[in-house]
Amino acid sequence: MHTPSQEFSHDDALSILARADAAALKALGEDLAIDFSDVEVVHSRTGLVMLPLRDTAKGTAFHLGEVLVSEAHIRRGIHEGYGLRKGLDLEASMAMALVDIALASGTKVEICHDFLRDADAQHRDADTETLRRIEATRVDMETF
Amino acid sequence: MAYVATRGGERAIEQAERLFRAEMGTITPERINEIKAAMPYLVDRVMGEASLYDEDIAALALAQTGGELYEAVLVLRAWRTTQPRLSVADPIEQDALFTHRRLSAAFKDIPGGQLLGPTLDYSHRLLATQVLTGEAFDPVPVEPAATPAPAHQPSVSAWQAANDLVDLPKGDATRPDDIPDITREPLLFPSKRAHTLQSLARGETGGVLALGYAAMRGYGQAHPTVNELRLAEAEIVVTHPKGTKFSAGRVKVSQAEVLSKKDEKLELGFAATLGWNEVKVIAAATLDLNSAGAPKGSATEEEFFLYHTEGVESSGFCIHFKLPHYVTFQSSLDAMRDAKARSAQQKEPAQ
Repeated sequence: MHTPSQEFSHDDALSILARADAAALKALGEDLAIDFSDVEVVHSRTGLVMLPLRDTAKGTAFHLGEVLVSEAHIRRGIHEGYGLRKGLDLEASMAMALVDIALASGTKVEICHDFLRDADAQHRDADTETLRRIEATRVDMETF
Repeated sequence: MAYVATRGGERAIEQAERLFRAEMGTITPERINEIKAAMPYLVDRVMGEASLYDEDIAALALAQTGGELYEAVLVLRAWRTTQPRLSVADPIEQDALFTHRRLSAAFKDIPGGQLLGPTLDYSHRLLATQVLTGEAFDPVPVEPAATPAPAHQPSVSAWQAANDLVDLPKGDATRPDDIPDITREPLLFPSKRAHTLQSLARGETGGVLALGYAAMRGYGQAHPTVNELRLAEAEIVVTHPKGTKFSAGRVKVSQAEVLSKKDEKLELGFAATLGWNEVKVIAAATLDLNSAGAPKGSATEEEFFLYHTEGVESSGFCIHFKLPHYVTFQSSLDAMRDAKARSAQQKEPAQ
């Protein structure tokens, strides 16, 4: 059973982890692996996620193409951990799954929250900077 | 049926491959990173046509094939088949796109405004030849605005529907797992719309442009105006084993709506692809706009444009003609000689 964090919803935590810097996430995963050396690995594999998109002319959902991902699914007792990230990086997806199972089982929650807080702030800053650069290209069209 | 065996072929084939690869030299992780950094639009084009999104793998395919795009797409499509499909993500909705570029050529005052984003549209196309004489080309940095653009933009067609200019489509309730998929089903005609749009999404850019351009120049029934063009990033929304939906990251996508007047309303054509490739989506949306009722065998008929814009099939068929055809060609020569002999006999004067 997943224990919701007070600070991060489950979906927010997973979305932040999926986008987090791979090296930093792996470092956290190594730290957590000491506490979860007895997990059952259900899956650790690479594969594809098909990505559909909805057409705005007729409303039809269709497949745009597939995205290469790495997936990790681990289990210990009633707790499950899951990681799925873009690219060929099984270590990073396993680290994500370890953070997920740590949060679910109440293990090293503060460390995980610190990581999520930092990563979330980095993502928000990066998005804001990107959007400021995009805003600089705004045009007002006038008809003469 | 007859066959021709090529003696000594194994060695020659191996040396031919070595000769091809010798030009590219050693492929290193640094080269892959350089290709990704220096040629993102080429990487995008290859990912779109391969129907496989991963910048590293696409850059590797480009490095291994020396930028021979048909070979790069072929090797990616082939590699894709070695990977299992883990799931189908939730469909991307237009108003959830993290938008980098968004414009309309039909209406200047669209809700949310017009954002040029990264483009050379209004720039002089000048070659920086000073680089060849040792002077680096260092682009002038962007001066960011004080406030960020909105991450998400409303749909232009929804605004048009509110003004009674277009009819908004009904929602498609098909479950993601049940969406028709041409990688697992044959393309049959009349094509399912999901198959048509998927085929165009992975279509070969040059082929799509050639046929779309034919439609634009007058070989189609409808002249397109770009209603909305977007270059954006889409979230890959997947499901945790416990049922929680989350974003597994973002991928770059392009989408275009084109329109023309039909009776008292506007009619829309649509296309999208993985990666940023606006020429392809505008041309593909033009084909979509023109396909209804197109004459058999015309450039805008769906069977014609879907079959002829599939890059792996068309390039494969084209290059197969350089492979040995000695038996079939010899057979044609025999037939030609027979005909010639018969003709000569008929011309001989009667005794």
